[in-house]
Amino acid sequence: MTYGGLRVLGAGVLAMLCAWAGARIYMNWHPLAAADMRAPAGLASPPSAADKAADEAADLRLATLPPRIPDKLPDFSLSNLEGKSTPVSTWAGQPLVINFWATWCAPCRREIPLLNILAGEWASQDQVAVIGIAVDHRDQVSQFAAQFKIGYPLLVGEEDALDVAAKFGVESPAFPFTVFTDRRGEVVALFVGELHRKQADLIMSVVKNLNSGSVQLGEARRQIAQGLDALAEKT
Amino acid sequence: MKLTPVLLIAAALAGFATAAQAKPWWMRDSDSNETDFLPPDVAFRAGAALDGHALRIRWVIADGYYLYRDKIHVEAQSPDLILGPPLLPPGVMKNDPFMGRQEIYTQQVEARVPFTRADFGAHPLQIRVTYQGCAEGGLCYPPITKVLFPAAALPESTVNAPRQWELIAIIGGVLAFLAAGFVLRHERKLPLPAQ
Repeated sequence: MTYGGLRVLGAGVLAMLCAWAGARIYMNWHPLAAADMRAPAGLASPPSAADKAADEAADLRLATLPPRIPDKLPDFSLSNLEGKSTPVSTWAGQPLVINFWATWCAPCRREIPLLNILAGEWASQDQVAVIGIAVDHRDQVSQFAAQFKIGYPLLVGEEDALDVAAKFGVESPAFPFTVFTDRRGEVVALFVGELHRKQADLIMSVVKNLNSGSVQLGEARRQIAQGLDALAEKT
Repeated sequence: MKLTPVLLIAAALAGFATAAQAKPWWMRDSDSNETDFLPPDVAFRAGAALDGHALRIRWVIADGYYLYRDKIHVEAQSPDLILGPPLLPPGVMKNDPFMGRQEIYTQQVEARVPFTRADFGAHPLQIRVTYQGCAEGGLCYPPITKVLFPAAALPESTVNAPRQWELIAIIGGVLAFLAAGFVLRHERKLPLPAQ
């Protein structure tokens, strides 16, 4: 090989080495250079294998069927704030608004003033009973009830309250959720999330129609669902 | 043209499927509006990775959801694993008249947890993380506890990324090699090899 050929070869090899070394230095120096394009902005690393496992678990959960609420109010008993076992049949013959909540839950706390008002209004008009089921420690609930001046009856439980939630088709509850029944004990609606006045009035107006026999359960549920959807579209 | 009816049916089915997705909850074979909210493992995706002498624990938080800073706890599960206090970035202050001021995270958050271990790697790293969050739409999830195994190996995408850059470097080097050869050959007018 001639001298010129050697120089060409040397220059080429040197260029390749420089380019490769530059890329390696850049990869080691720049914190975002190695980041996956899918990584959320502001994080210095891509999702790990554990993230992928979490994704798979989440997909599995999504594949499960949504809860089906029962047609009839299930029978259950829970302790009241004094520790006395109280069956739900205590309120037999009354339309019920059963609110599942917890003291650590912000939207549950926000609902309480509304539920206090509705308990007063509906009890006088339609004998509706508002019942709170706190999935929490009884001591905490007692203090909280006094502090927030909860005026409707409260039942309390931990695992046993979760079992009651499961009887309503809610196996892994998030809070709050509220069950509405008519006076015959038919479960009319299960509303997940913070309840607002318009939604409560809408559901209760349909419960009234159900109580009077002007609609059947299926039609009542459809009316509630359509009404809630219309409210959601407005907001 | 025989395909036309098939295409029409497929298009109709596709349209039906789209419409089914758009249907409100009472027409999606569900009697509650629970499907308006994400399952907790979708709303808050937790993962952990090993980074030298620290663990990186990351939560990816769905839009419209948030995690409470003071509800994030990390505990060691492996024998001889001692964790330092989690180092969390400052969150956003959220004012709730019924809960007071709460520091929250949205979108994503990464905690760095220094650790020491006395077993010289005899046991796999195993930690337990607990966290709790809510949806802005008015729903709170109970505390979620997960056992995570921080991966010692680099994530696949990180391993792949340098390879891509190295490939670019090699191609660049080859081009530089050819360019250098062309320039030198042109300037020096080197004789062509004998035929």
